Amino acid sequence: MSAQKKKAFQIEAFKHRVVVDPKYAEKTWKILEHAIHEIYNHNASGLSFEELYRNAYNMVLHKFGEKLYSGLVTTMTSHLKEISNSIEAAQGGLFLDELNRKWAEHNKALQMIRDILMYMDRTFIPNTHKTPVHELGLNLWRDVVIHFHAIQSRLQAILLENVRRERSGEVIDRGLMRSITKMLMDLGPSVYQDDFEKHFLEVSADFYRLESQEFIESCDCGEYLKKAERRLNEEIERVSHYLDTRSEVKITNVVETEMIESHMHRLVQMENSGLINMIVDEKFEDLGRMYCLFRQVSNGLVLIRDVMTSFIRDTGKQLITDPERLKDPVDFVQHLLDLKDKYDKIITSAFRNDKTFQNALNSSFEYFINLNSRSPEFISLFVDDKLRKGLRGVTEEDVELVLDKVMMLFRYLQEKDVFEKYYKQHLAKRLLSGKSVSDDAERSLIVKLKTECGYQFTSKLEGMFTDMKTSQDTMQGFHASHGSDIGDGPMLSVQVLTTGSWPTQPITTCNLPAEILGICEKFRNYYLGTHTGRRLSWQTNMGTADLKATFGKGQKHELNVSTYQMCVLMLFNDADRLSYKEIEQVTEIPTSDLKRCLQSLACVKGKNVLRKEPMSKDIADTDTFLFNDKYTSKFFKVKIGTVAAQRESEPENQETRQRVEEDRKPQIEAAIVRIMKARRVLDHNNIVAEVTKQLQSRFLPNPVVIKKRIESLIEREFLERDKGDRKLYRYLA
Amino acid sequence: MKRKDTVKLISAEEMEFIIDKDAAMVSQTIGGFAEMELGEVTFPEISAVILEKICQYFYWALQYSRGKETEFHIEPELTLELMMAPNYLHT
Repeated sequence: MSAQKKKAFQIEAFKHRVVVDPKYAEKTWKILEHAIHEIYNHNASGLSFEELYRNAYNMVLHKFGEKLYSGLVTTMTSHLKEISNSIEAAQGGLFLDELNRKWAEHNKALQMIRDILMYMDRTFIPNTHKTPVHELGLNLWRDVVIHFHAIQSRLQAILLENVRRERSGEVIDRGLMRSITKMLMDLGPSVYQDDFEKHFLEVSADFYRLESQEFIESCDCGEYLKKAERRLNEEIERVSHYLDTRSEVKITNVVETEMIESHMHRLVQMENSGLINMIVDEKFEDLGRMYCLFRQVSNGLVLIRDVMTSFIRDTGKQLITDPERLKDPVDFVQHLLDLKDKYDKIITSAFRNDKTFQNALNSSFEYFINLNSRSPEFISLFVDDKLRKGLRGVTEEDVELVLDKVMMLFRYLQEKDVFEKYYKQHLAKRLLSGKSVSDDAERSLIVKLKTECGYQFTSKLEGMFTDMKTSQDTMQGFHASHGSDIGDGPMLSVQVLTTGSWPTQPITTCNLPAEILGICEKFRNYYLGTHTGRRLSWQTNMGTADLKATFGKGQKHELNVSTYQMCVLMLFNDADRLSYKEIEQVTEIPTSDLKRCLQSLACVKGKNVLRKEPMSKDIADTDTFLFNDKYTSKFFKVKIGTVAAQRESEPENQETRQRVEEDRKPQIEAAIVRIMKARRVLDHNNIVAEVTKQLQSRFLPNPVVIKKRIESLIEREFLERDKGDRKLYRYLA
Repeated sequence: MKRKDTVKLISAEEMEFIIDKDAAMVSQTIGGFAEMELGEVTFPEISAVILEKICQYFYWALQYSRGKETEFHIEPELTLELMMAPNYLHT
């Protein structure tokens, strides 16, 4: 305050009434008490608030705050006692109504009282740490009315009864319920919880326990889940209408525990309607529902996943070991793909693409596909079939789809190197016989394999394609330079194969007919003329020939045969009848191949250009062959070549296996050396683990084999054993 | 002529001050009084001079809250009484 000397201060007497009257406090209080009465009796409109406010103000100001406060407490309490009596007297259904009405009135009264006593609230109460007026009002209500034991138990009972009625389908007054619960919440969260929520949850748990027991005896899995879902939704709706939102989580927990968790196992295992049946019958809706419900329960999804996984494994195992299926590899693989499709669909549509389920599916497939050691071969045969004829006339996108599916199966294989071996063989046959449906499709698959396994895996395969292309160019060059020479002679078409890229074939003997030899020599000279330092050898077991044949009545046919078959048939140009031994002698074709080729020439209906004596199915050393004059066929061009890639016979399979094992040895050794060079010193278990990790993209190495390789390396002084610890190995530079 | 949104504050000497309701609401106590319904409140213990100053304060407070930051000048003679009133009115 700035001192102003101009005007002298004049402090006038305070204009408020000075307290002289000792009974002042008592009088003032009486006024206020009367006012409170009026308020509770709904006569508030006659009061002057300003006056009351002023009175309260004065009391506090003159240090009678204590009296005011305690007076308030007493008055309010007595009013509330009256109120609770009247509520208690209410009959049956009117109880809640009465309670609600009185509560609303009390609130209004409290508001007015608070306004009047605001000064006290502001100054006296904080100073003395007493409860503010509004809170005081609520507390008194709680203590005098709600916790009045006659009312308390009745209130609880009625509330719970209402909920029970609603659950059985009756309609109740939701608005009233809402007001009551709101009242409880206003009185304090612990009031709501202790007086209502706790019991609500208990009672609900009992209710649902009973109900779920009933349901599970009478319903099948799908129906039960529907009912559970419905109840769950009901409860959520109930909470939104007249309960505290924080109760939602608690009540849904209760429902889920009672209805789902307690019966989890029983539901899943239910006969004729449990999880397995749903999967088999593809009941997506039911599965989806089960997924959603079980997800809320701990270990719910784990249970579903486990049951599904063991089922897939069993189905897969059955499929793998079924001898009927194994007879037709293409069919077998198709079944695998169908199985995978089915489960993919289930996981996508019912299980929301849950990653853990995908993983479970993948691991199951990996498990049983590798149970059958011939899976790599069969998958290659499947691809072979598709690339030979299955994908004829199919759109590019669909081709990609099929190839992607094949790749997916490929990923499950543990022995990828076995697959590579077979794939190479089958690819070679396809390329050489020109039987591939689509070059693009072939290349596309190679690219996919390369992305999956790296360059090394596909380098040889790509080499095969390159050879084919180069051969075309070579042939063009050959014809350009020698075209005039050939004239009437046989037309030659050569594919030059680089030895390393193509599957190794043993060189077989075969005497080519004289007519052919001539032109073969011409080609050899031409080729060696342009490529010095190379060696060519004819692969007679892989070639084909087209022959023009004239039969008895002058029918002409064009026969497409293998090279061996050509050699045999050419012999019949000079003789009508030849014994087995004679044929063998002249052609020098190995026995098993010769027998097979004769079989397809003489014993197959529609393709028997030769006749055999005696007419048995098998070729014996003592058989004789005659040219079949009477051969007829609807077609001009007849194909008698050896058939497409077949599943190997047992001995062949053993042979391939052995070769694969042999190939693996150096790979394991290379891995060991690589690891030891980096680590210098390592113990046995760790080496095995590292080697397995490095090679797992190709195959799963056998620890016994690894051990043998280590010992071999020790012998060759790449590694040595540590003097002190026998299990430790050291790298020798 | 009583416009809609106004209230009448009556001092001890029965001098009437008519102000906007918004201005009156600055005081929480006046806001709470039931007489607001009727549109007039009596203050038998507050003198006209003080009540006038209080009304001015209400308007100033409104202006200040709307961003116009001016000073509120109080004559020194009034200060003592002027301190009691807001205490009473919770302003």
